[in-house]
Amino acid sequence: MQDLLELLKDGNSRTLEMMAKDLGTTTGDVIRRMEYLEHIGAIRQVAFMDNSGCGSCSGCTGCSGESQAACRGCVPQNADVNMGKVWEIA
Amino acid sequence: MSTATIALLGQPNSGKSTLFNALTGLKQHVGNWPGKTVEKKEGSFAYNGMTYEVADLPGSYSMTANSDEEVITRDFIASGEADIVCILADSSQLERSLFMLADYAGISAPCFLVLNMEDVAKDQGKTINVKALEKKLGIPVMLFSATDKKAYDRFYATLERALREKSHIDVSALEKEYEKISGYSEIKDQLSETDISGYTPMWLTVKYLENDKVVSAKLKEELSGDKAASISALGEKAGGAIATGECKFNWIDKLLDGTVNKSETGVKLGKLDRIYTHRFWGKPAVVLTVILGLFASFIPALPIMGLGSLVDILKNVVQGALSTAGCPALIMGLVCDVFIQSMGYIIKMLGFVFGVTLVFGFLEEVGVMARISYVFDNTMGKLGLQGKSVMPFLVSFGCTMGGAAGTRVIDNWGQKVLTIALAWAVPCGAAWAIVPMLSTVFFGMGAPVVIAVLLLVMILHMWVTAKIFGRGLVKKEDRCGMIMELPPYHKPRWGALLRYVFGRTKDTFVRVAKVVLLVCLIFWVLSYGSGVNDTSILYRLGIAIEPVTKFFGLPWQLFIAFVASSVGKEGAVGVISALYAGGSYGEGFMAAMGGAARAANLNELLLANVTKPEALAFIFAITFNLPCVVALAATYQEIHSAKWTARIAAYYTVGALLLSCVAYHIGLLIW
Repeated sequence: MQDLLELLKDGNSRTLEMMAKDLGTTTGDVIRRMEYLEHIGAIRQVAFMDNSGCGSCSGCTGCSGESQAACRGCVPQNADVNMGKVWEIA
Repeated sequence: MSTATIALLGQPNSGKSTLFNALTGLKQHVGNWPGKTVEKKEGSFAYNGMTYEVADLPGSYSMTANSDEEVITRDFIASGEADIVCILADSSQLERSLFMLADYAGISAPCFLVLNMEDVAKDQGKTINVKALEKKLGIPVMLFSATDKKAYDRFYATLERALREKSHIDVSALEKEYEKISGYSEIKDQLSETDISGYTPMWLTVKYLENDKVVSAKLKEELSGDKAASISALGEKAGGAIATGECKFNWIDKLLDGTVNKSETGVKLGKLDRIYTHRFWGKPAVVLTVILGLFASFIPALPIMGLGSLVDILKNVVQGALSTAGCPALIMGLVCDVFIQSMGYIIKMLGFVFGVTLVFGFLEEVGVMARISYVFDNTMGKLGLQGKSVMPFLVSFGCTMGGAAGTRVIDNWGQKVLTIALAWAVPCGAAWAIVPMLSTVFFGMGAPVVIAVLLLVMILHMWVTAKIFGRGLVKKEDRCGMIMELPPYHKPRWGALLRYVFGRTKDTFVRVAKVVLLVCLIFWVLSYGSGVNDTSILYRLGIAIEPVTKFFGLPWQLFIAFVASSVGKEGAVGVISALYAGGSYGEGFMAAMGGAARAANLNELLLANVTKPEALAFIFAITFNLPCVVALAATYQEIHSAKWTARIAAYYTVGALLLSCVAYHIGLLIW
């Protein structure tokens, strides 16, 4: 797992498949190791949107404080679902 | 009738609740664990003259005390209340789901393993040798599908057997892995005399190495000061949870080796992803996709732009009607030159907003935008930005202020400033409205080419900006990469997409209309009543600065529009509309042209008064000018530095004029 963390520090972005290729393993193996690293707090999933900023954008159609959805005036509803998941060093 | 208690243990989505419900049926009750808000589910069932009490333990990833759920789970098991622990794992992904078993190994309570979702594993072509697994583990193991009622007889048989045997996991192979960790054996020796019931010294040693807070606190109470200091020193060199996790995964792999046929042999990528993620071809493929997307945006945009041109006809009709009715010139000017004229422009602007939102919204829906952002982010990562920067950039295509606010999730100040500085280069929604409209007016069919060139210049601009500011803002050690899970390609949800496209177009219409009408009105008032021999301050100022503005390729009217675009890019259109078509300036230009007849519409007027190189210069100037004063305020609000906000603003103003100058001179060579 240390090798996975080292690759995460080199400034490059990789897909799961590329990471698996670079580590000489399978995508499934990368996924389970990332799940573990996330669980122990070594990496974290990137939160793309901070709702506290929502509502101030001039294009914002208004997202309620309770909703965690990204600003609909800026990106399509649930757009982050289609944008994939991203992890980085915590 | 004798009774036995079963505890169901498994990670979330292991099928624990399905099994619990099937076993207990209506004989269950739900409450809370004492002192916690975690749900406690208990139930019972009778089988073969025996009553079984079932505790559905909270779903947790592991047995480490990271959450209330995990603490409750292991406290219950260690308390000895359960006669047997039923550990569930997902057969379809054993490499992952057996982690709970590995983490459980070393706890004193007897257990058996249920490999759930047998049907899914079969569909994957997986075969699992249960007997071989049992031999390696030393506990009963069964393949099972909690949703299959016929499988429950086998479950009951395995349960009875597990209760008879009360066996524990054979940890010898796992311990061999742990022994490779520096300091493990020494710490375990020190813990051999501790009296923490329910756990073996091996398990306690591993949790201590993983910095489990509850275990560490208990050991501190149990051990003398010397021993505590000794294990603390050994623990620091051991490699922590990463080292123990590696051991568990190695053990799982060896466990599965020879017992499960591996269907996953290598890394598989679709044809498109092979191109998008290619180290060399990825970038050209993404640039080509975006350019084709922009070209495609013109298809739905052109009919709407055509609708905007009809407003010019409406203007002439209304003008004629008002004139016939003897309407005062002031009212006629306000209605025709300010309101109708501006509305024509606004509708034309909305055409491209609709087109670009539809095309790029579609690309996002089908999963292509994720690939674009991956390639974009990979490049940004090399310039020192985090994975989080990608969303502010994408949001900036709609609204730079939203992009600036989006950087709130970036915790490194330097990276936040750099992200905003680069996000400013991304043309916002207003720019996407004005620029294609002006490009169409001046360059007709060549407009898509102008847009494509602007996009390439944007990428270059961002690269140069990152080089200029990056050195002072981001240290090399701050730079880190990221891993991205690309979503699968899928069909678009047309309803959601169209709701977004129409919503976005409506929002843009409201925002743009307010700014354009206001700015147009201000400049129309400033120019109202002036004639050929204009003596107004605006005219004199314009004439005075024109020798300088001409250097950048901008006539004074376009320069004022450029200045107005700093307030809001939509404002530029208001200025153009007022200064070129609003009342007497328009007439002034016509007169200066030698008494030519007044042009029927603003397009013709602009074409008659602004050369193509000047138009190109203006398009570059407003595209790369600072986005708007609101974005400026949002930037200050996020980075809390007047110095950096001013520095970025000055950089963009100067940069826009320089690009304008370059575009003008290139335009002169072409036309």
